[in-house]
Amino acid sequence: MELISLKNVSEKSKLLLLRELGYSSDGEFVLNLNGEKVIDKYADVPVRLNNMIILPGSTLILDNNELSIASYIEEFGDVF
Amino acid sequence: MSSDNPISDVAEGVSKGVLEWTKENILSLLQKLKDRKLAFIEESKTIEIVREQYRSGEAKFYQSYINDKKLLFLVKLGLTLRKLENDQERLQNLRGKILQKHRIDGLHIAEFVQNGVLNRYVGILLEKLNSIEKLKEDISYILNNIEKHTIFVQGTSKKSEIIKKTDILVNSHSPEIFIISGFKSAAKIVADSIDSFKIILKDYEFERFSSGEKETLFFKRKI
Repeated sequence: MELISLKNVSEKSKLLLLRELGYSSDGEFVLNLNGEKVIDKYADVPVRLNNMIILPGSTLILDNNELSIASYIEEFGDVF
Repeated sequence: MSSDNPISDVAEGVSKGVLEWTKENILSLLQKLKDRKLAFIEESKTIEIVREQYRSGEAKFYQSYINDKKLLFLVKLGLTLRKLENDQERLQNLRGKILQKHRIDGLHIAEFVQNGVLNRYVGILLEKLNSIEKLKEDISYILNNIEKHTIFVQGTSKKSEIIKKTDILVNSHSPEIFIISGFKSAAKIVADSIDSFKIILKDYEFERFSSGEKETLFFKRKI
């Protein structure tokens, strides 16, 4: 699987990317269609715009941390 | 700012240190995402670190001897903690996440692995191995009952409190193996308390493991 780093991607491009996926941001956090913060389902923390992971499948948006990645691998296998 | 030429857009972005994507770039990337051929990540290092631990011989070893999925997951997180020891920010971040999600018991299991204590514990079990099934049972037992058999000394712990706790745990549970572990500033507290531990655990054989900033004491009950 190809991994695209978001580290050097402009905020404008990230917002455009989120919009195409049906999300938005208040500039700090990723928001869902209802304007609520998107919560990382594994780590139970809100996902920040500058620290997000977007994974395939049902388009999962997670916080960029080792626990969430490990949990994803547990659920979906090592797809990377 | 963006043109129809993605390459020139990227080049422009690189020259500024920031990448700009056009809507066309994004739609193309999202198609790959949909096809499960691509993922976006802030730092690919995060995935690399986790995958490295999952593929390690140590993880594979414990995969063979731990059937409980949650325990095995915490063991793998412990390996990840160990890998992050040279990156304090990430280490503390992961410790916090484990604590939040799996409470103090879960963090202690991960730290048990991080500090190499589980490896040594298994080594002791192997010295008197009866069967693979018994080994599996014993590994699960120690991980599920870690608070009864192990003291994780904190840098803020008082020597008198640790000694009192040791006395209570040993008298309450009579563990076959009792472990006292400390990291960084806690390692000195552990080392300074050895003589007191030996008095409480007089019916136990003593083994000491010091490596860098880690101090671990194993007490094996004499039969």
